[in-house]
Amino acid sequence: MLPAAGEVPWRAVVNGTEKELAIESNAILLDVLRDKAGCLGAKRGCDMGTCGCCSVLIDGQPRLSCLTLAAEADGRDITTVEGLADGHHLHPIQQTFADYGGSQCGFCSPGFLVVISALLEENPTPSDPEIKSAIEGNLCRCTGYQQIVDSVRAASQILTSGGSIEDSTAPKSDPHPGFSEEGAS
Amino acid sequence: MSVEKKDDEMVGYRQQPGKLPFSKPGSGGKNQFSKPTDASIIPESQGGSKKQPWGPHPHDELVSGQAIGKPTAMVDSRWKVTGQAHYGDDVRLAGELIGRIVRSPHHYARVLSIDVTKALELPGVIAVATGADAANKFGVLPVTKDEHAMAVEKVRHAGDLVACVAAETEATAREAERLIEVEYEILDSIHDMRDGLEDSQTPIHDRGKYHIGESNIQKRVFQEFGDVAGMSQAAVASHKQNWLFAGVNHAATEPHAVVAHWDPSGRLTLYTPQQVPHYLHRALADVLEIPMHQINVHRTFVGGGFGGKSDPFPHEMCAAILARKAGRPVRICLDREEVYWINRGRHPSRIEMNLHADSEGRICGIETDALIDGGAFASFGHVTTYYNGVLHTAPYEIGAFHYTGARVWTNKPASGAMRGHGAVNSRCAVEVGMDDLAEQLAVDPITLRLANLLPPHSATITGFRVTSIGMRECLERVRAASGWDDKFRKMPLGKGIGIGCGFFISGSALPIHWDPNKFPHATVHLKIDMDGGVTVHTGAAEIGQGSDTVIAQSVAEVLGLPLDMIRIKSRDTDTSPVDLGSYSSRVTFMNANAAISAAMGIRDELLDATVEITGAERNKLVIGDRRIFAKNDPAVGVSYLEALHKAQEDRGALVSSGAYRTPPMGRTHKGAAAGLAPAYSFSAYVAEVSVDIETGQTKVDKVWAAHDCGKALNPLAVKGQIIGSCHMGMGQVLSEEMRYLRSGHLMNPDLLDYKIPSVHEMPEVIPIIVESNDLEGPFGAKEAGEGPLLPILPAVCNAVYDAIGVRTSELPITPDRMYRMIENRCRAEKVSDPLDLASPRLEHSALQDTLDARSNAHTERDIERRLDDEREPYHNGALFGLDPTIPPDEVDPRWAVTVLPSDEYLTTPRLAGSAWKHTERRHRGDA
Repeated sequence: MLPAAGEVPWRAVVNGTEKELAIESNAILLDVLRDKAGCLGAKRGCDMGTCGCCSVLIDGQPRLSCLTLAAEADGRDITTVEGLADGHHLHPIQQTFADYGGSQCGFCSPGFLVVISALLEENPTPSDPEIKSAIEGNLCRCTGYQQIVDSVRAASQILTSGGSIEDSTAPKSDPHPGFSEEGAS
Repeated sequence: MSVEKKDDEMVGYRQQPGKLPFSKPGSGGKNQFSKPTDASIIPESQGGSKKQPWGPHPHDELVSGQAIGKPTAMVDSRWKVTGQAHYGDDVRLAGELIGRIVRSPHHYARVLSIDVTKALELPGVIAVATGADAANKFGVLPVTKDEHAMAVEKVRHAGDLVACVAAETEATAREAERLIEVEYEILDSIHDMRDGLEDSQTPIHDRGKYHIGESNIQKRVFQEFGDVAGMSQAAVASHKQNWLFAGVNHAATEPHAVVAHWDPSGRLTLYTPQQVPHYLHRALADVLEIPMHQINVHRTFVGGGFGGKSDPFPHEMCAAILARKAGRPVRICLDREEVYWINRGRHPSRIEMNLHADSEGRICGIETDALIDGGAFASFGHVTTYYNGVLHTAPYEIGAFHYTGARVWTNKPASGAMRGHGAVNSRCAVEVGMDDLAEQLAVDPITLRLANLLPPHSATITGFRVTSIGMRECLERVRAASGWDDKFRKMPLGKGIGIGCGFFISGSALPIHWDPNKFPHATVHLKIDMDGGVTVHTGAAEIGQGSDTVIAQSVAEVLGLPLDMIRIKSRDTDTSPVDLGSYSSRVTFMNANAAISAAMGIRDELLDATVEITGAERNKLVIGDRRIFAKNDPAVGVSYLEALHKAQEDRGALVSSGAYRTPPMGRTHKGAAAGLAPAYSFSAYVAEVSVDIETGQTKVDKVWAAHDCGKALNPLAVKGQIIGSCHMGMGQVLSEEMRYLRSGHLMNPDLLDYKIPSVHEMPEVIPIIVESNDLEGPFGAKEAGEGPLLPILPAVCNAVYDAIGVRTSELPITPDRMYRMIENRCRAEKVSDPLDLASPRLEHSALQDTLDARSNAHTERDIERRLDDEREPYHNGALFGLDPTIPPDEVDPRWAVTVLPSDEYLTTPRLAGSAWKHTERRHRGDA
């Protein structure tokens, strides 16, 4: 973080909502997102553009928010991991990340997820080399990437087959189930 | 399915299919009908059809088919994928201040004075603290507390903490950091671990009467087991290699961060991504001089641990001290560079490995000498020093074991515990040695291993009780899957295939804080109220490995509930029973066992209630999907909620507690407890590599990774651990290295120059799960988090030899090192073009048949032993003709156990062994 340089007004659409903030003129986008816009999903891993944990979409393009001046994003459309889900319906890549072990500790996941969502937006059926080249700027220390690539393949399946993602608030299991014929085993 | 709820359709306790008798408060979920029990999940011992090639298990009767063994998404994964998971730096409290730490620019210096006046005068600075604010020492091991929150007298490495400051903004805090003036007297620092063995004018620490000479030796070990004198006489093949392993860092993606808050009642809550909240809890009490009950340690989501978040850390103390002074919450988030300063990564090590094989292809001796570079603090090093030796006394039956180990303090960031703690480097050296022995004996290296394995339920030469062993299956399965027999020593120059094995503890049997009380290692509490949801309180630290999930699965399995009915509360020490933390691969083994035990308490009450309602015979009742019913007539039964409400009559919520403590075991020599575990994991990997002969670049193409985890409670997580371990181990063997300049400065404290593999370096990994059904493990399970890292290093090293005929003795095998090795080989063989080098080839000797025959005989021996309840003891040494039922040292004086070097040894000690030249001050007579 650089010394204070005086506040300037800043306006952007963050995850679909218009934000009007006063920021330091030399503020880094990651700091603005985390400290002022309430997007703690964008993570600071290395602070030098190596790990990709801070990746966000600016006008749909993946960018490293730790290397981006907030001023550069003034007036633009910014998406963080918080903006991927549709209400209680996860984005397919969020769902498959959970189901296929794409997240272990989860710290790098927000970065991967926004990058992959941009990939799938552009190319809903990426090949393995295309997947790998899309995520080459993101480091993951837990998964060895294999289950991340699995997750992308599975998300692509959902997108192309028109599969749906369940509302997470749908009723869970009934603690008082009845007995059915098939139950008699 | 439509549901008609008519009271009159219930006939006695016999429920009519498809009819719900009446709704109950709390109903209304989906899945209104109980799923039929799948017989293929129920073990044969319980009348199901699930095969049990390793015999029945005590937990078989608890199998309800709900959760165990099914690939399961982590129960907290939806938080992570939505950005709702809050890690250390994501905890934001009203009125928070930002803390920054002043760190030493010198490697080793006396702190003469600290002037904080200017910093305090800076507007926005609220509090400053120095070592004077916290005099008490702490450290993760009670026997080696050698850390302070901030320098009290000396700084011991560049980056050591000197002072800290809390301010309104980060910019102000950073400015204040610069305004704190520190006067140092620079002392002579040491950076080469070999210098640590010598006497020093100013040893880095002073351990009083326990100090070893005037040296920087923090811990030394000498151990001899078996026929040490006989091993070199019997040897027909010997391997010797002097290794140099670079230090590596966990490089978790989340930098350490902490938030401290003293609440209005004067209690401290510390929010921190910790693997071992309990040890931090203790250390905070020591440093802050308040009782433990005045502190709540709140574990946030942990963005990667791998051992790097398993010490109580000075910056955690700083946050608490600053918050106390400021009267406001303080948040400190480390820069990536600072993460390397606190390090605790794998020790830089110099290991001399000697292996001997006799004419029958038996491993008649292992001699290891390991000098490990501890950096500035003890951390877990006491244990690491032992682990570098004792954790390679299996899976092979050996004729002798000689180990000398020493850990020294140097003026570098402290080394500590990292995934595969203490076992990784020396395991690599052993497995490369096995490959070399096979080469010398002209036999297949997999066969050599198969013919020398300890059987299940045996004792190692060091006296460790080994229970289930799936080593043989691991080896056989990777051999088959990789097409080993068609590839080994048959591939073209530059392509190679190699094998490596691993052996690791599944939970340390000795808790770090060894109380005389028989405290359990893990405790789990359950609470179930009218809604039927199960609240699980556990202190097990979820660090991304899936501990919350595996505990939820265990409870769900026993109670016959879907996972969505289990909620895990594992964050606060205020509400969680004490758990020792996520280290030593103990969580699944110990916490799932504790969870099972707690769930069995509830299960008993549900069964009693069912008997009361239905009148069915208790021993005929089984638990299925949300239903308790008679095995012989499933229509006789009640829903989970009915049984629960019956059990709650007159008392309300059900609660139960379960605990796990390791059984007494092991032997009594000094150091006997180091490496003891209630069970051990085994693994065998085959790696296929390509070496670019002209550039020296090594690429791993494919890995077949077999790991014996006893029982994969969550196969998705086990596979994730195996693949992730390959990633981390591959980094260490090919690219990761903490590089120090000759001046002692760390050159690459960042993720750009500290090179962890990206997606492009990762090979395809084929995880192969071997399930040896450990009798003491929860549902048969053992660890899968650390052991899977061990085999990848030697598998790659051995594959490199197969590819290009050079044996590395230095890790990582960076292209420049590889290039030099190829150059050296060319020079030695007078070959001008490296492309003309010959690939290693293998003609089997007559010994191959001997080994095949022995391996076949042992296969039968092992199956017999694992299925035989009445089996006799088997002590390491039987392969050498000794009585397997008696520890050999009790009958053969040549096999006596020695833990002190003889005078004769001290005349020509090995490198680490030379630590024994010094006398402890208390034995010198001048202390």
